[in-house]
Amino acid sequence: MSSAADMEMRVDPPHSANPATTGIAVCLGTWCADATVEQLTPILKLLQAALGSRTASVIVAYPATNPQADAWQHEGFSMQPYAFDGNKPSLNTTTAASYRNMQDVMQTYKTSCGILLGAEAQTLHPDALRGMVDAVLDRNADVALPRYSVGSNEALINAALLYPLSRAIFGVKACFPFALDQVLSVRAAERMAVAAGQAAKASGGDAFVWPTAEAAAAGFIVAEITAGTRIFPIQPNTDLSLVLNLLGSSLFSEIEAKASFWQRTRPLQAMLSLDVVPAQHVTTEPVSSDEVAEMIESFRIAHGNLQEIWSLVLPPQTLLGLKRLSRMPNESFSMPDALWVRILYDFVLAYRLRTINRGHLLGTLTPLYLAWVASHILAAQTTDATNPPESLARAFEADKPYLVSRWRWPDRFNP
Amino acid sequence: MFSQVKYALIDSFGRVLTKLAVFLPGVLALLLAVVILALLGAALSAGARSLLLRMRFDERVSERNSAGLSDWAPSHSPSLLISRLIFWACVVLGLVIGVSAYDAAGTSDLTPFILPYLAHSVGALLILIGGTIFARYISRSVLISAVNAKLNYARALSLGVKWLVLIFTAAMVLDHLEIGGNIVEIGFGILFGGMVLALALAFGLGSRDIVARSIERTADRATPMDQASERSSESVRYVRHF
Repeated sequence: MSSAADMEMRVDPPHSANPATTGIAVCLGTWCADATVEQLTPILKLLQAALGSRTASVIVAYPATNPQADAWQHEGFSMQPYAFDGNKPSLNTTTAASYRNMQDVMQTYKTSCGILLGAEAQTLHPDALRGMVDAVLDRNADVALPRYSVGSNEALINAALLYPLSRAIFGVKACFPFALDQVLSVRAAERMAVAAGQAAKASGGDAFVWPTAEAAAAGFIVAEITAGTRIFPIQPNTDLSLVLNLLGSSLFSEIEAKASFWQRTRPLQAMLSLDVVPAQHVTTEPVSSDEVAEMIESFRIAHGNLQEIWSLVLPPQTLLGLKRLSRMPNESFSMPDALWVRILYDFVLAYRLRTINRGHLLGTLTPLYLAWVASHILAAQTTDATNPPESLARAFEADKPYLVSRWRWPDRFNP
Repeated sequence: MFSQVKYALIDSFGRVLTKLAVFLPGVLALLLAVVILALLGAALSAGARSLLLRMRFDERVSERNSAGLSDWAPSHSPSLLISRLIFWACVVLGLVIGVSAYDAAGTSDLTPFILPYLAHSVGALLILIGGTIFARYISRSVLISAVNAKLNYARALSLGVKWLVLIFTAAMVLDHLEIGGNIVEIGFGILFGGMVLALALAFGLGSRDIVARSIERTADRATPMDQASERSSESVRYVRHF
């Protein structure tokens, strides 16, 4: 298995437009472990609607705890169970194990592309899935990601952290870098599987792989396809701190591992953007003022109690910004983009330098994130901003030199 | 009479000099053992450090174990931690050998007491260091968890937990050094028990409303369907983080 540094430096040549086979492997995650025919039928209907004549060459792999489970045929699909040890991950999303399972299936059946589908995938628009598969099979893309239409109150961790950091640091503009549904080419699947193996060694059961980071480092072509609305699965674990800890630590580790890649000045990676499903303006129920007030109060409690820890991580200017923020009245509570950018970049640096225990570090990020959420919700009530917000992503890009200089010379400033 | 005084003084002086002459080789042996082992430890520590740096040990540990050894190591360098452990292990070994050499010099009625007490002192020091580190870690964990649980008294809770652990550590250290005997045991029991009772009262009385709301929610969920309209309304949350 290649080392992380070797993987980072290797840039694969473009793959041929005409793969030897046209088989498609669909890999379903642990959310459908030991699924019955009735439970799989909605997914199969989606695949039929999306893949049309390609259905005959589709292998659908799903997890099964019974190691003796046999393959079977259903409505033209070849159903292939793969071994599953019964341990479900903490988050209902695509984990490192999903990529390895998909790679195993693709290698076994020599398919030319792989589809990863998350829970509630039956609510995905068939045209979106077809667009993603066409991007990989016909238009030479290596990684096809959906762009979901979400309301201003949804996918907030993606809006606050995952999208802007991925875009600014790895140069990939995909709005959902950690999408539930993905289509990968053969070489992309191989690369993700190797990365998944390394991530699983470091983090165990809850390891994640970042397809945009891997694609950027390898010089793969990324395609983004508009996918309309989709229902997101309910998470088994509703503890926000735990969710932020899992996602934040994984992304920060990825940033640390690929430091030599993103520190070089590069333009934003060209991305294939396809408008397949018209973008929809999603209206959600307005967030109650009580809920917003609760988030602001959570931030104020943290501001009163975590100064000692924040001062180890954040510079005085940022602490002053937080102090001003804590004194704002609820109605005009607003966290400037520049402040949030600096907070995240300082946390990335502190994660790398191990200024404090990493679990503690990410625990102290939760109230700051809630302050951003409260500010974002209040702003969305008066303006018609997109989700994820474009202005925030540009602010992250503009301040990237700060991250680079502090990464290279950490001792130049020590809070 | 003056000659008797003179002989007594000369005799006493002679005994002191004799004792000193017998005592000094032992001390010299002790110092020599400590110095030699310390020099050996420094050499081994430098060798181990350069070997581990050549093997890129720090990078391999942080790749495989993102939270663990590196968090505890000084300057987050596991190779530095290992080299310092080697050095101090040699110093402690030198001390042990030196005390044995001191004993072999045939000097002392104190040796049966010094060596065990020295061992206990080293143990007590390790307990103190470990307890202090643990107290800081646990208090920070409690502080962060309490803040994320929106508890206003997070800092007080964290300080309380920290002092509990420190007092527990201090009692263990004193017990290990066999200082104070029953007074320490009883005093610790009273103090520790009092602190735990105070924390339990503070937490229980302070969280009455939270517990009551939680019980109310559980009872509401158990309400039969035909009485659903009588359920107290729980605010619906429209924010989806992930």
